[in-house]
Order: sequence, then structure tokens, then C-alpha cells
Amino acid sequence: MLTLYRPGTSWFYRAPAGPKAFVLLLVVLAVSLLPSTYLSAAIAGAVTVLAYIVSRVGVAELGHQVVATRWIIVITFGFQVLFLPMESAIANTARVVAAIVIAALLVLTTRVGDLLDAFERGLRPFTRFGLDPARVALVLAVAITTIPVLTRLAVGVREAQRARGARAGLRSFVIPFLVVSLKHADELGDALTARGVS
Amino acid sequence: MTEPIILDDVCVMLGDRLALDSVSLHLDAHRIAVIGSNGSGKSTFARVLGGLVSPTTGTVSVHGVDPVRQSAALRRLVGFVFSNPDAQIIMPTVAEDAAFSLRSEKLPRAESAERVRVALEEFGLTELADRAAYDLSGGQKQLLALCGAVIRRPQLMIADEPTAYLDARNARLIADHLLAPTDRRLVLVTHDLELAQRCDVAVLFEDGRMTGVGDPADLVSRYEASLAC
Repeated sequence: MLTLYRPGTSWFYRAPAGPKAFVLLLVVLAVSLLPSTYLSAAIAGAVTVLAYIVSRVGVAELGHQVVATRWIIVITFGFQVLFLPMESAIANTARVVAAIVIAALLVLTTRVGDLLDAFERGLRPFTRFGLDPARVALVLAVAITTIPVLTRLAVGVREAQRARGARAGLRSFVIPFLVVSLKHADELGDALTARGVS
Repeated sequence: MTEPIILDDVCVMLGDRLALDSVSLHLDAHRIAVIGSNGSGKSTFARVLGGLVSPTTGTVSVHGVDPVRQSAALRRLVGFVFSNPDAQIIMPTVAEDAAFSLRSEKLPRAESAERVRVALEEFGLTELADRAAYDLSGGQKQLLALCGAVIRRPQLMIADEPTAYLDARNARLIADHLLAPTDRRLVLVTHDLELAQRCDVAVLFEDGRMTGVGDPADLVSRYEASLAC
């Protein structure tokens, strides 16, 4: 997973999930709306470093997060540099990475349970339109948890194919991967029912 | 909870396969083992009791609760543990996953935290509370799954081959937790015949039919004799 809660005790960890999410959203929006210039890239970088220092999550964790986004950096920069001037490509890539890494501060410093509670509270006004906040929060939680499971299932499918001497190929991978993923979804549905989710 | 588990002429069709064939039972033992070969109907039986599969025909009563018509009451009464621990983990960290089982009860935050603390301690997971659940070993994951079921304080625990994915040490650990003397009743589906003999009563399934109910040692002998044929 890109990010996951890291235990900590700083003021940023103790801050309530709702207001923390709102403030981070504003910072991410501000970084995203910067113009495509070298100065903007520098500002985005500085804001990101400052956010990790002020929150006391630390520059080392910032490094881990940036490394985790390496493929996003490669793909974003690679496509942009083909069609845009170098300055725009660098600035846009810096803004995208800064936005992702700053947003990661929320999940790094907030337990998923607290996030879901905040999410449920935030969505409560929409109940009048038929939205079930608890159900939406649950879907998010399951989505977060399922990412490492799907990764493990994909590795298992590849290993099984290699063990049987099958050639690597998209079609020969996708079908068994879909089958085991659907089986997992079925079992997860039973587990949710058994734990009181109707 | 004095009322028994009652099945009256229960049939279950899964697709075009008859998974349970005219099963009638009256069980009031505290710890019930369910044994039989693969595909014999054991898991379907457990799923019927747990309200995860509805009978095609016949009626079921689990300690006075109809699993089909009273699903909310059944969820309060029954905890369920499956064989695959990966499929039972809903939340990213150990403590959050244990707490997830209490979300539907809408408890005050302090009470919920205390129940999580006690449950993690009971299952030796306190030190792992903030660890990512998917980084745990198979045995630890199954302990977490059991913890997530027990934290809701069910009166009946249904465990469907809970030790199938585990090594001998972890299998014994899970079995000891399940079979510990408590007020909680147990329906244990298992291929581990030693484990089955630690229960008060055994039920034997063959080809979707219930072919025996009674003393675990007798039924295990009978089952082993049938395997030798």
C-alpha cells in the first residue's frame, strides 16, 4: 500500500480527523492550483517539506512516500515532457506528487476507524438524498484493506503459473486472477455478514 | 440459552447440486463437532446455522432463532469463524479490525476501546495492536479473526475448519481458545479427528446426508472405518 497509519503522538496525530482532513484538503487544493512554473514547483516542494516537519511526521517518512510515488513521477513526467515545455512538465509533476504526498499525511496520522467516523459524520447531510454514510465508509475501508490482498493473490497466480511452466501473458493471468478475486469477494461478503454487516 | 439447535427435514440446493439432503437434527450439547469428507455437507450445514445459506426446504431453529426470518437476532447470537483468515480481515490494522465487529453495536467510544483492549489481551494480540493485519502470520490472522468474532460476545460460535490453514502449533492454539470452558456454545466443523473427540457430541455427514449423531469417539471410529473401505 502507498500509505498506512504510523503510530505517533504529535499534535497532528491527536488532531480530530474531520478538521485535519479539511485543512489538508485546502493545502492540496492550493498546491494543485499553482501555475506551471519553476517557482511553483519549488513552492510545492517547500510546502510539502514544511507539512511533514510541522506535523512531526518527519522528513524520513516524506522520503519513503516520494519513493512510493516513483512510478507516478515517471509516468506523469514522461507523458508531459513529450507534449509540453520542460518547465510545465516539471511543475505539473511536482504539483501532482506534492498533492499525493501531502494527502498521505491524513492516512499516516489517522487511524482508519477515526477516518471512517469522520467520513460518516461528513456525509450525514446527504442521508436525505438516500445515501447511507455507514455503508459508503465501509466500502472505503474494504477497498483500502483489499489492495494488499489483491497484490498477494496476483503474486500467487503468477507463482502457480510459473510452477506449471506456463508462459507469462496478460490473458493467461487475467482470467485466473479474476476467478480468485471473485472467490475472495464471495468469502469477504460472508465474513461481513457474519460480523453483523447486513 | 437452553433451547437446542433443531433442523427439520432440511434440504439445500447449491446450483444443481443437493448439498444437504433431508437433514433432521435435535442438538442440545455444549460443544458439537461436525465431521465428514470434503463435499459431504458439513460446511453447508454450518452456513445454514450461521444464516449464510438459506434452506431450500425444511425449517431451522438455532437456540430459538430462525436464521432466515430473524437474521438480526441471529447475528447477535452467533459468531462465525471461517477457514481462510485472509478473507475475514476487514480493517487495515489489528486493533481496528477487532473494533470493526463492534461498529454495528454503536457503543460509546470508551466502552468499545475497553472491549478491544480486553479481547486483544485475551488472544495475545496486544503487542500487535497497531500492526498491519495483512503482515501477520497465518496463525496470528486466525487469532485475530477469532478475536473479531468473540468480541461481540456471541452465545454460539460456529467455526468452519478454523485450523485448516495452520501449522500444528497454531492449530492447537486456536483449538484451545475455541474449546476453552466458557458459557459459549460451539459448532466445530473439522477434519481434525482428535479435535472432534474433544467435543461433547459429533455429527457425521456423508454425501449431503446426516448419517450419525452421538458420542464423538464412536462416530470418529465409524468414519475412519468408512475411509478404510
